Amino acid sequence: MAVESEPPIPVDANALREDVKSKYREVAIDPHGKYHFHTGRYLAKHLGYDDEFVAWLPDAAVESFAGVANPFSLQTLAKGEHVIDVGSGGGFDCFVAVLQVGARGKVIGVDMTEEMLAKSRSTANVLGLSNVEFREGLAEHLPVEDNCADVVISNGVINLCADKRAVFSEIWRVLRPGGRLQFADIANGKPVPEGALKNVDLWTA
Amino acid sequence: MLSEIGFVDVRIGPPVDTFKGADGEQKARLFQVYGYPFFARKPALNKENRHG
Repeated sequence: MAVESEPPIPVDANALREDVKSKYREVAIDPHGKYHFHTGRYLAKHLGYDDEFVAWLPDAAVESFAGVANPFSLQTLAKGEHVIDVGSGGGFDCFVAVLQVGARGKVIGVDMTEEMLAKSRSTANVLGLSNVEFREGLAEHLPVEDNCADVVISNGVINLCADKRAVFSEIWRVLRPGGRLQFADIANGKPVPEGALKNVDLWTA
Repeated sequence: MLSEIGFVDVRIGPPVDTFKGADGEQKARLFQVYGYPFFARKPALNKENRHG
């Protein structure tokens, strides 16, 4: 499981980052393309998102969604909370979060892929949302101040980061004392061969 | 790892068959890959820390 202590992943972190960026650039530009994972409204329904929330969102907010589970399933957000989404992609989880925290709340999505940022910012403009903001940055170096978040969310992103301890430590930095981390990610029940772990191409295949 | 960093109340929700019906299903089955929701909390400051 991802929450257990693990040895460092034997992969070039920068090469992996570029590979991930390339894959999700494709998902931003061509959300209905052929991928090894589901995307969009079908995926949101499959993962158990609230139909009412998803129906409210325009296609642009949902079509590039490529999460792996529902970070709101163990606890929903409260009105007025400040939220950071690590690896916000096309913004889907940020828009779901905005609906939960309401007008007094604030959501900041952080992503490293220019095309995803353009898409999420455009959707926020279309929706007229002034309390959601998208910033360029890395999961290991979030562009936000210390102790500023009530909740950090993330969906299908941390498994794609070579140094998970660095990511969790960064999340710790930005969470206020008493704040929550609610993330969704994949975990494997059977070990992946070391040769496969070293192959950057297989991480996003 | 979460506990080592200092997070408390760590919980893992039920698995989701994320790749069911997708092109990646076969590989996911091979390594029993599922999606999970995770929850953890950064401890609140106690009174001593808050005023100290």
